[in-house]
Amino acid sequence: MEPPNLYPVKLYVYDLSKGLARRLSPIMLGKQLEGIWHTSIVVHKDEFFFGSGGISSCPPGGTLLGPPDSVVDVGSTEVTEEIFLEYLSSLGESLFRGEAYNLFEHNCNTFSNEVAQFLTGRKIPSYITDLPSEVLSTPFGQALRPLLDSIQIQPPGGNAVGRPNGQS
Amino acid sequence: MTHVISRTPKMPQRGRSSGLPADRTISSVTRVIVKTPGNLKDFIVADDTSVRQFKEKLSAHFKCQMDQLVLVFMGRLLKDHDTLSQRGIVDGHTIHLVIKSKHGSRSLAHSSRNLPVSEPCHGDRNTKGNSSGVCKSASMSQTPTESDLFVKTDAPKVRTQDLKVDTSECIARILENPNIQRLQSNMEYMRQFISEHPDMQQLMQQNPEVSHLLDNSEILYQTLELARNLAVIQEIMQTQQPAQNPEHPLNTLGFETIPGGNNALSQSYTDFNDRMLNNLKDPFGGNPFTALLAGQAPEQLQTSPTILPPSQEWRDQLPPPVIYTSSRGFSSISTNGISTNATPNRVNHTSTISTNDQSPVHDTEIAALPSKEVTQKSQEEDQDATISIDSPEQKLEEDPQLSDEQNSSQIAGGMMQLLMNNPHLAAQMMFMGMPQLNDQWKQQLPTFLQQSQLSDLLLALTNPKASQAILQIEQGLQLLATEAPVLLPWVAPYSWGLGCLSAPNCNYPDPMHWAWNMPDIPESKRSECCHVPGTVLQKLQSLAGDPSHFLQAPEIRFSKQMESLQAMGFGNHHANLQALIATEGDTNAAIRKLMRSQGF
Repeated sequence: MEPPNLYPVKLYVYDLSKGLARRLSPIMLGKQLEGIWHTSIVVHKDEFFFGSGGISSCPPGGTLLGPPDSVVDVGSTEVTEEIFLEYLSSLGESLFRGEAYNLFEHNCNTFSNEVAQFLTGRKIPSYITDLPSEVLSTPFGQALRPLLDSIQIQPPGGNAVGRPNGQS
Repeated sequence: MTHVISRTPKMPQRGRSSGLPADRTISSVTRVIVKTPGNLKDFIVADDTSVRQFKEKLSAHFKCQMDQLVLVFMGRLLKDHDTLSQRGIVDGHTIHLVIKSKHGSRSLAHSSRNLPVSEPCHGDRNTKGNSSGVCKSASMSQTPTESDLFVKTDAPKVRTQDLKVDTSECIARILENPNIQRLQSNMEYMRQFISEHPDMQQLMQQNPEVSHLLDNSEILYQTLELARNLAVIQEIMQTQQPAQNPEHPLNTLGFETIPGGNNALSQSYTDFNDRMLNNLKDPFGGNPFTALLAGQAPEQLQTSPTILPPSQEWRDQLPPPVIYTSSRGFSSISTNGISTNATPNRVNHTSTISTNDQSPVHDTEIAALPSKEVTQKSQEEDQDATISIDSPEQKLEEDPQLSDEQNSSQIAGGMMQLLMNNPHLAAQMMFMGMPQLNDQWKQQLPTFLQQSQLSDLLLALTNPKASQAILQIEQGLQLLATEAPVLLPWVAPYSWGLGCLSAPNCNYPDPMHWAWNMPDIPESKRSECCHVPGTVLQKLQSLAGDPSHFLQAPEIRFSKQMESLQAMGFGNHHANLQALIATEGDTNAAIRKLMRSQGF
């Protein structure tokens, strides 16, 4: 009975505003936001993230965003790459289709949270998942909500995961 | 052994009860949540159910076989012989379930749930990327866990070198094999084969773009469609034979001939362009925002980037495809710029414009402008970029500093245009340096700028005499500030926006460029804003050019431009000077102004 392989699972955190949010959020929103977080899960030497184009993957740090601003260790998993890709395929067909993307409700961090829980049973840090509600709780955020809702984020540099054959 | 129960328990939710009569089937139950992608289901099981039994239940429920089920809890795979409680699964826990498809998926290829349909032969894709018909069989041996499909094939084991002999017959034989046909119609397998062949891998190492092509299933599909025709294959083989480099047939093939190939190449060209420009940007300091926000006077090199950041945010609100096209457009402009001139400043200017396009879309809640204004801005910047590149005057190319001024003045001109149209933007510009601005002012500024006759005022300001007058006022105020600061509160209403109150140094802004240097604003607003630190205007002015320039007399600053104007035939020295002052040293704009004033 061989011991199961444990694969490390990391969460790559990017600040999409490149520091701007930390400076300007007190003025604009009235509360301090440390960043506009985009996250992705890195496991099996690949980075997986969700954007308006669906679930994508790339080599770690391989999107146009460059290297992550911080890396969070989520834990480790026994789930093999094969099973994981199966899982992602079915996620991509059900819950995380590209058109399901919504900046506030169903974004990259939702995906990262979901996957992290699948892989390790743990959630990602709450400051990331609380970001939308933080923003929406400000009058500024409420005022801008219709505009922000229409924003779709898709960091370039990834390849689609789990699409049916022949379509891209 | 207790077996699984499927009725709601009569027990409390905690699940464990020790005091009940020994009805062993109901003694202890656990409610677990089984989560599949897209589905959530509660299951009630007995505490000491084994995983195997649980899987039986699940397979009945999800209508699949037991070995397709993969249960994951806390990142651990649940093995059949475990019991749920052994793994620490108690009431309310979530177990993740993955239902494997019948054929395993591999790497990042798609997993197909359906058996491949026997479509007409896709042709031998081997000839695309490799010179051997042995790819299939070779890679077959490399993938030990492939399905039975491969085992059944009796593809001839053709050696690589032999392919050059009797190729068409071998290929025909291979293609006729229905198993091979079925195989080829399965995109996933084809992709696998292609990527696992050593020749292909070598190619991919040397040209990473090829892997992009493989991953794009559309291109792959089209490629395979193209290869269906045996005649095409033969033609390709013929062209390949004389090729000096048989290991890189993709080059000789010419992707242009493949429908959709151009797209793939253009994508890779864009990617390459983007990366190249990203690298260009780095030497000049990665983050243009920091210089602006830290309140330092940015170097002249960074004057253009500091003006551009707002545009970056607005631009980001365009849908992503637009970003790519505009990036491509700018890439071409900037590569043009890079090749046509050697001045590093200009390169910086254009490259920063284009790299702004490449940054990912931000979901920043800061800017809120309709995209119409974005396109306007991008057009202006387009003009700015093209103007700066296509400028035919040799003098400008020789003088980097001069060109920088022109660049910045062109940017400033464009900026002004934009600010006139977008008061929100103007508000944002102001906020960048002034945390202490209160909300009231924030709201007032946009409406204020809208209401005021901005354009008229700006036109008035461009009148050189008016600007001279304002300059004199400023100079007087500055003198006052240095000589008798105590008097400043008395003239505070008049000094709003002129930055003299709290600007200890002499860097006050040139009034012609910035809209809020208007002396006729209502008194109340002025008093509110008179404490606006001069740092804003300092910044704005430094954005417009090197601060030290303002200290020199205009004649000295613009001596070169004056000479060129003289050479062009504008004899009126005084008018030239005025025009140059008004346009901040921009010879082209000065010429236009002079011609206008002369009644053209």
